[in-house]
Amino acid sequence: MNAVYRSYGPLLGTIILLGVAVWTLAMIIGPQVFMVEQSLWRLEQPDSAVTAGMRIEELNNALSLAQYDLGTLDGATEPDKVAEREKLARSVSEMEQELSTLQGQDTAPVKVYTIGNYTEMSGYHAEIFVKTIGASLLVTLIAFAVCYPVAYAAAKLAKPQRAALILLGLVIPYAINELLRVFAWLMILDYQGVANSVLLWLGLPEPIRFLDSGIGVFVAMVYAYVLFMVFPIYNTIETLDSNQIEAARDLGASTWKIHTRVVLPHAKPGIAVGSIMTFMLSAGSFSVPHIMTRGTAQPWFSQLIYSKFYDSFYWNQGAAYAFTLLLVCVAFIIIMMKVFKVGIRDIAK
Amino acid sequence: MSSTASSSSSASRVVLSVYMALFFGYLFLPLILMVAAGFNSYSPPSVTQWQGFSLRWFSELAADERILQGIVNSVIVATGVIAVSLPLGLSGALLLSRLDARTGSLLYGVLVSPVLTPGIILGISTLIFWRQVDVGGGLGLTVMAQSTFIAAYCMLMFMARLQRQDTSLEEAALDLGATHLQVFRRITLPFLRPAMLSAAVIAFLQSIENYNTTVFSIGASHTLVTEIGSRMRFGLTPVVNIIGLLFVVTTVVVAVLYVLLRQRERARTPAG
Repeated sequence: MNAVYRSYGPLLGTIILLGVAVWTLAMIIGPQVFMVEQSLWRLEQPDSAVTAGMRIEELNNALSLAQYDLGTLDGATEPDKVAEREKLARSVSEMEQELSTLQGQDTAPVKVYTIGNYTEMSGYHAEIFVKTIGASLLVTLIAFAVCYPVAYAAAKLAKPQRAALILLGLVIPYAINELLRVFAWLMILDYQGVANSVLLWLGLPEPIRFLDSGIGVFVAMVYAYVLFMVFPIYNTIETLDSNQIEAARDLGASTWKIHTRVVLPHAKPGIAVGSIMTFMLSAGSFSVPHIMTRGTAQPWFSQLIYSKFYDSFYWNQGAAYAFTLLLVCVAFIIIMMKVFKVGIRDIAK
Repeated sequence: MSSTASSSSSASRVVLSVYMALFFGYLFLPLILMVAAGFNSYSPPSVTQWQGFSLRWFSELAADERILQGIVNSVIVATGVIAVSLPLGLSGALLLSRLDARTGSLLYGVLVSPVLTPGIILGISTLIFWRQVDVGGGLGLTVMAQSTFIAAYCMLMFMARLQRQDTSLEEAALDLGATHLQVFRRITLPFLRPAMLSAAVIAFLQSIENYNTTVFSIGASHTLVTEIGSRMRFGLTPVVNIIGLLFVVTTVVVAVLYVLLRQRERARTPAG
């Protein structure tokens, strides 16, 4: 703290500290805390309100019955019927009174702290959650397998001119809006899209419903996030001294050995970062499933969260779902840091 | 080098070249199809049912009020994000450059964490946080939600620049009687100017691009990207392809310019 004031003086030092304080408290920690708080309660009808509600319903039924009976006795002159009518009228007014006091009671729902928002995830939602995580892991794995050769070729094999061209070829699709990249695949995999046209032309009897089956989401997801794996791996491989590869080759190491013993260990931080980004983006992706399922295929977990907020307005459970997703991402980051033995400073570069 | 080794390495080179060609085909073919369909007069967008070259979707885009309003909103939000993220990112970088390793690492972890958090969670938590003071979704809330992580990107760029700073210059100025404010204005800020420019550009692009965070914080308003998102879900129209085309052309031009500039810079300093 003193170092800050010594370097920047009282005025600037205070502005800097204030800025960082606002950022950490009002934009990072505060919102997370409130999200967790929101996930830990819900509005419940108090027990008294529930019993009162049942009694009101009972009274309403009895009341309409009595009123009907009263109607049939209307205009009757026989003494026993008159007596019955008076009795009925009395009980009707009693019931109406009880009803009005019951309805006047405070039945506002009360805030109850509970972990129910987490534990009461329905079987169907739990299934979607597991599938989302599984699919995201698979996307990450595929992205790594596809990107490692590309990153290695760009960093170590290509001549400078060609490497620049490769990088340009990677940057352009990477920089194009995620939604548009997904849209391109929507056009291809649509029921009447390019893929089906080609397949029909090749002799397939009828078009395949790629989008309804969820294949579309997966294919577009790999396409949308594959490049987030390339750049971190490329950056780390580029710092590897090519002489190490040469030396290993001269000492008789096979291509496989060179990669498993020299290149891959060096690329660890890049692989960790690429995996974290790809997994996080896939698991939390809203754009890809939103566009590719078109409401027909099974939703992604992020879509359940969205509908909790904007369709059923059940923010408490929505917050619980969101926090669950966040916990999975944090767990993934910690596992990656442990497996690849990298620190937080290596990750966010 | 023995002959078997060189022949096997040339074989693997062929395999790798084929692989690279396939990979780039995979990357670019969908984009090319998307652009091509924008010129087909047929709707929904298609390249297989070709009904003649047409520019009609351009004029439809130009007449589309919601899209145009979306572009205006996107620019408003992006400007707001720059105004919030640059000062915050700069404060973070300046503070971290003066903290000891331990406190620094902790603070660094906190400040950078939004980059590693799914975008929808940033949107949701911002939405809930501001609801406590009755601020609902909209352009302002979107600025706050996006700045949460974009400020971290700005900070990283400022930190990279500050690492190369020679602090003795500032110390000398202080010793010679300059005030802290003078040092900041005359030495630190000019030194950081290139980083400011690139941070502003990155913040602007990140903001325009953003969908996952924005969709939760935008409320009843819309940006260009959220509008595209809702169009794609309900019926395809080639107007979206034209937007895609504009994005692709802009990106290619900017990327090529960037690479050319970098090469020229390298040519000027042959050692680098």
